[in-house]
Amino acid sequence: MQQPEIPKNEKQRLAALLNSALLDTDAEPRFDRLTSLVQQCLATEIVLVSLVDTQRQWFKSRQGLNACETNRDISFCGHAILADDIFEVSDASQDVMFADNPLVTHAPFIRFYAGAPLHFQSQRIGTLCIIDPKPRQLSLSERHLLRQFADVIEQEIADRLQQHSQQQLAASELMYRSVLEGTRIGTWQWNVQTGETVFNERWAEIVGYGLDELAPIDINTWLSLAHPDDLAASGKLLEQHFSGELAFYDCKCRMKHKNGHWVWVHDRGQVVSWTADNKPLMMYGTHADITEQKQAELALKASRDQFQTLVANIPGITYRCKADKHWTMLYMSGSIDPLSGYPATDFINNSVRSYASVIHPDDHERLDLAVGQAINDKQSWLLQYRVMHKSGAIRWVEERGRAEYNEQGEVSFLDGFILDITEEKTLKQQLLKLTSQLPGVVYQYQQWPDGRACFPYASANIQKIYGALPEQVKDDATAIFGKIYPDDLAGLANSIELSAANLSLWQHQYRVCLDNKKTIWVSGRATPESIPDGSTLWHGYIEDITTSKQHYLELERLNKEYQLSQQRLEMASETALIGFWQASLKTGELWWSPVIYQIFGFDSNITPSVALFKSTLHPDDRHLVAESEQRALQSGLHDVVHRIIRPDGNIRWVHELARLLPAGDSPDQVLVGSVQDVTERMQLQQMKDAFISTVSHELRTPLTAIKGALGLLHSGKLGQLPEKVQKLIEVANSNSERLAQLINDLLDVEKLAAGKMPFDIQPLLVQAELQQAVDNLQPFAGLHQATIALQPIVAGLKVQADSLRLQQVLTNLLSNAIKFSPKQAKVLLTAKRQQNKVLFEIVDCGAGIPVDFQSHIFERFAQADGSNQRQSGGTGLGLAICKELVQQMGGNIGFDSVPGKGTTFYFALPVKPDTIN
Amino acid sequence: MVLERVMHVEDDESIRAVAEIALTDVAGFELLSCDSGQRALAQVEAFAPQLILLDVMMPQMDGLQTLAGLRQLPSMAQVPVVFMTAKIQQAEKQQYLDAGAIAVIDKPFDPMLLGDTLHGLYQQYLEQQ
Repeated sequence: MQQPEIPKNEKQRLAALLNSALLDTDAEPRFDRLTSLVQQCLATEIVLVSLVDTQRQWFKSRQGLNACETNRDISFCGHAILADDIFEVSDASQDVMFADNPLVTHAPFIRFYAGAPLHFQSQRIGTLCIIDPKPRQLSLSERHLLRQFADVIEQEIADRLQQHSQQQLAASELMYRSVLEGTRIGTWQWNVQTGETVFNERWAEIVGYGLDELAPIDINTWLSLAHPDDLAASGKLLEQHFSGELAFYDCKCRMKHKNGHWVWVHDRGQVVSWTADNKPLMMYGTHADITEQKQAELALKASRDQFQTLVANIPGITYRCKADKHWTMLYMSGSIDPLSGYPATDFINNSVRSYASVIHPDDHERLDLAVGQAINDKQSWLLQYRVMHKSGAIRWVEERGRAEYNEQGEVSFLDGFILDITEEKTLKQQLLKLTSQLPGVVYQYQQWPDGRACFPYASANIQKIYGALPEQVKDDATAIFGKIYPDDLAGLANSIELSAANLSLWQHQYRVCLDNKKTIWVSGRATPESIPDGSTLWHGYIEDITTSKQHYLELERLNKEYQLSQQRLEMASETALIGFWQASLKTGELWWSPVIYQIFGFDSNITPSVALFKSTLHPDDRHLVAESEQRALQSGLHDVVHRIIRPDGNIRWVHELARLLPAGDSPDQVLVGSVQDVTERMQLQQMKDAFISTVSHELRTPLTAIKGALGLLHSGKLGQLPEKVQKLIEVANSNSERLAQLINDLLDVEKLAAGKMPFDIQPLLVQAELQQAVDNLQPFAGLHQATIALQPIVAGLKVQADSLRLQQVLTNLLSNAIKFSPKQAKVLLTAKRQQNKVLFEIVDCGAGIPVDFQSHIFERFAQADGSNQRQSGGTGLGLAICKELVQQMGGNIGFDSVPGKGTTFYFALPVKPDTIN
Repeated sequence: MVLERVMHVEDDESIRAVAEIALTDVAGFELLSCDSGQRALAQVEAFAPQLILLDVMMPQMDGLQTLAGLRQLPSMAQVPVVFMTAKIQQAEKQQYLDAGAIAVIDKPFDPMLLGDTLHGLYQQYLEQQ
């Protein structure tokens, strides 16, 4: 027996067989009717629709046979499918290929076989075969009929499959429809070419309509409901899909809901058929309401944006890194860029550089230690260190970080936050510099209602004020309160309570006891601020005011003293009748003290004025006041004694003494002065003057007669007297001279002492003055048998002096020199310029002045011998008067004397400035 | 013109006596000596002195009043007057000069020089006229 060969395209053939979907299916009338018809038409016992499978032949339809399949090895059909022609065996028992075939040798005892191949998908999947137990030969018409029946079977196979596909499609459509309904997804079908469109009810529902409401439906229905802004994007997606660029049309867009709001939809579709010229024809798609999803998406996006903005806006850098040696960065926010000058991407996975590489090398070790310690202790860390910017600049940062641990307690990440504190650090340093310049302490003081208190900030000077370091009082202010001077503590506490209660400015002065037992005065000033935790925070400044306080206390004491002395002065000025006034020569404004009202007899409500004052002047004294005011403009000193007539007609003497303030200090020409009622003094003076005048007169009158009489007798004009009488007359005469001189000297001394000696200072020719003195003294010199030698004087030399008084001095000194010179002696008189003075010298060669007496020589009534017999015959007032006269003319007087050798008296008076040298 | 006739008015008799010797015996003047201002005024015109020497302090009519009285007399309006007094404070002297005296002679005076002094003053007076 020959087994059938396996066709070359067996694989494709079997695939086609499988595609035919016939194997192992139930018998079907459509095939059975045909096989039955073949049985009758071709008058054969067995008709089969046999399908040749891998190992078997299976019968889809069979007539005259019970078996539904036989082994392919023994099959006749296995041979029949090897060619397109009908395979016919007339008598199998006589055929070598089949004679021993069990189907021949056993039932059904095949003798005749004819099989027409059945084609499906161009493959011979089986046969329509007829079988008889008797040998037979088919005629040509019979062969043709078998072939036609085979063709019909082939058609049935195809039809069946299509029908089956349609059924399956319908079922699947039903399923999909159910699914779609369940998922509430709309569907659409669109004829791209005609615009004809079909939507399902759900499609319409999504936009709030019924389908009937939207009729007639075409593509414009969609176009009219889509958001105008989304049409362009949709059109582009379609183009990309039509061109093959995109497998699907996938578009999310907005559509107008019947109620007016927009709903987000997701359309997804695909072209399912194309026109002959390759244009898209039918397109099917789905239409889903994704409004909620979109809103959630938008909300998520917004939240993400917000988060990103938030992270971007955080003035610092957030990071997560591995806890490895290089702290490999897993995330780092963008703010690292301005800090380091490098983008965050550089640091992620340490792709370009590690974060450690931008940390200042000097800070590495410290950071490693601190972070390592914090990780071990499972604590967070807070560190300040330097970061080196790309530009080379150094930035200060503060980092807070913490490790994340897994369930095994191992470190999984390090998370942290880095803040650029360069500005703050700079400001702090500036603040530190500034506060170190301040003499006091700048501070913040915080106090809670339960009494806790601290100094969250205090500049370094707190040590100077309270003897405590800022760190010592940062959390607890107790140490400070222990330093407050015990007596001041309650007052200080009260002032703080009051400031906290009213949130009013705190200002207080109190004492602080320093450790060295020294007590200082301090002054504090601070502004309070209410803090939400119930505490009060003051910002303020405290300074050491010990020095100024001491000054203040001293000032207070001085002020009290001043007030006392003011009172005393007022009492004194009242008692002494001295008033004070201030007047402006320019504006006429006048102020005067209360005593002035009393002096001038004014009513106390009268307003002071210069005019009022002038109206009181005694008419005879007006010129005195005017002259003094004129002098004041030159000399600055107003000094005048004059009379006033009081409103009651009483005449009083007043002494005005005032100074004109320097022009720089007072542009209004202000005179400040005093006025004293000197009426009584003036009356006394007048009495005194009258007394002296009278005494002088009354002494001189008898002296005149005595001296005159003696003079006449002594002259001899009235006849020669006996020698003894003559001698006595001489004695009487010379003593009357002394008496006259004594009276004159006494009057001079009185005038000089009272400053009432008038001087008429003029430029005087020295030569002439000296000559006159010599002439005046010549008779006296003759009497003493002495000579006066006038030395040559520089021609034109002038001296500033009163001629009368200069003569008085010269006469006095010359007469002394003559008196104390031995007989026949010479008295030298000379004068010369010495710088800005004229130096007069009177030189005698007398006995000189005893050393003991030299210091008393210019005293009144001083005479060297002190005896009753006075060789000199002077009054004892001469040199005292000379000294006063010279001094009051602006000069000085002195002497050089060597006992036994003589004396030189000298005096110097101002030279006339333009005098010739 | 030489000074020859001098009138002296002085209430103090002692001084009058000394002055009389000084002016007549020593100086050689023709002298009319009066003991009061009133007597002087009464006799002055008759005597017609060339110069009048006046004391200041006199009872009833003092020197200044006498001078004023003299000036009332037409013939005495121009006659030079010299005060001879012990009231010789600076202010007092100025007062006499202001009243019209040509000079003041202090007391005590030197009787031997008085005549010469008056001659000198009279010559000065004439030169100034």
